[in-house]
Amino acid sequence: MEPLISLGLREPRPVYFPGERLSFEYQIDAVGPGELLACEASVLWTTMGKGDEDLGVHYFERRTPADTEDGDLRPLRQVEVILPKSPLSYCGIIVKIQWCVRVRIFLRKGKESFFEQPFQLGAVPPPELQQVRVESSSTPDEETVEQ
Amino acid sequence: MARLFRLWQKKRGDRRTGSNAAGSLGEALFFAVLFLLGAVALAAVLTSQLSEAPHLSGWSLWLVLLVLASFLLIGGAGFVLSLLHFGASAERRSALIRRAGSMELIGDGVASSPGYPSVPRDVDLTDSPGTVLEYRLPVVQSPVWRVAASAVFCLLWNAATAVLIVLALESYVRDEFDWLMATLAGVMFVVGGWSIYHFVRQLFDHTGVGPTSVEISDLPLRPGQRYEVFLAQAGQMSIDSLQVMLVCEEEATFSQGTDVRTETRRVHCACVLEEPAFTVEPGMPYERRCELIVPAAAMHSFRAAHNAIHWKLIVRGQPRRRTAFERTFPVIVYPPARVATSA
Repeated sequence: MEPLISLGLREPRPVYFPGERLSFEYQIDAVGPGELLACEASVLWTTMGKGDEDLGVHYFERRTPADTEDGDLRPLRQVEVILPKSPLSYCGIIVKIQWCVRVRIFLRKGKESFFEQPFQLGAVPPPELQQVRVESSSTPDEETVEQ
Repeated sequence: MARLFRLWQKKRGDRRTGSNAAGSLGEALFFAVLFLLGAVALAAVLTSQLSEAPHLSGWSLWLVLLVLASFLLIGGAGFVLSLLHFGASAERRSALIRRAGSMELIGDGVASSPGYPSVPRDVDLTDSPGTVLEYRLPVVQSPVWRVAASAVFCLLWNAATAVLIVLALESYVRDEFDWLMATLAGVMFVVGGWSIYHFVRQLFDHTGVGPTSVEISDLPLRPGQRYEVFLAQAGQMSIDSLQVMLVCEEEATFSQGTDVRTETRRVHCACVLEEPAFTVEPGMPYERRCELIVPAAAMHSFRAAHNAIHWKLIVRGQPRRRTAFERTFPVIVYPPARVATSA
């Protein structure tokens, strides 16, 4: 049975602004207390779109059973984070920046699972496409990669 | 099982067709084998050299030592890195890098503005004071290298042509005329003539246009704010049209097979100044002031490893009977000043 990660923003809003407080809570179910090796919660941005993915972590915490009194990482946990000034969420033509809260759990036998909750930082509207220029460098050898 | 033990797998960046764990294990094993190979071979070579009859001497010994030492170092470093990456999430690695970057010594190399993560620093833009306004913007993509490349090609080609012509004339004087050499010299002479024309034209365009200077009243820029821009175009020429544009471009770098490609898309282009035909007199630069308004909804400048958002002022001119020129002056746009106080 797959573990269940419950993650939610407290007082969710369509748009958060830099300097505001983001509050979220998460809980892990459907897994025994001894099965959980570690749990990571992070507030981060990732890029999507045409370029290779970039990732920046604003807040990160990693907890192991040794960090809790009863060795149980499953109970509800609340976290508060002050949001940074940049980068703002952006939905461009080939560059997109998305913020999210991500909870990742590590189980026995090398298994891991994660769940994320996106949110909007700032209110930058998407641009309109105007002009394209492509530059290429490097070797003639090409191959495709299955994803 | 097929996913784990597939003989050939494909990998792009952090993504691969097979199992991540198996891939990381394979990577660690490869570096471990490389390390062991280097260590054992290095020990064997050193032991044999210390024996009574050394097999290697001089530069060959140093070459072997260098190769084996590189095996040792690459294998060791790769193995340690593979172990560090194994089982660590992307977020944890990013947090570790961020923490390392915040250390004083390492942090000097971080390109973000203080307090504005992933926004490029404006230090390079604000270190040159202007004569009329606050800052003089640096120009990028100077065409000097094109003139230099053209000059080098012109010199080398014409030197080779001259040698060939001399040899052809010599063979003619000795009554041993070589038609093949003469034909080749003729073809090279034509190409050499074209290279001289091209070089002179490039030099003429470059020196005739004269330097372009752009100054701005404040930096960094903020969305919705107004700024004053001062343009000075020196040289001696007649210009049919001159434009100053505020441009925003998205830039994405991605791997495609073994290629690394960079795609750029212009997502904003606003004309700041448009001048009709005018003449620049020597010693009297053409000067204009104009107002620049950064759109209120503008995305700020952004720079990450593979993605970026650039803002720049572009000066584009069309001189009479010459090639058009374009000069780029990067600027930095910060996020809006609004910061919540309710936190």
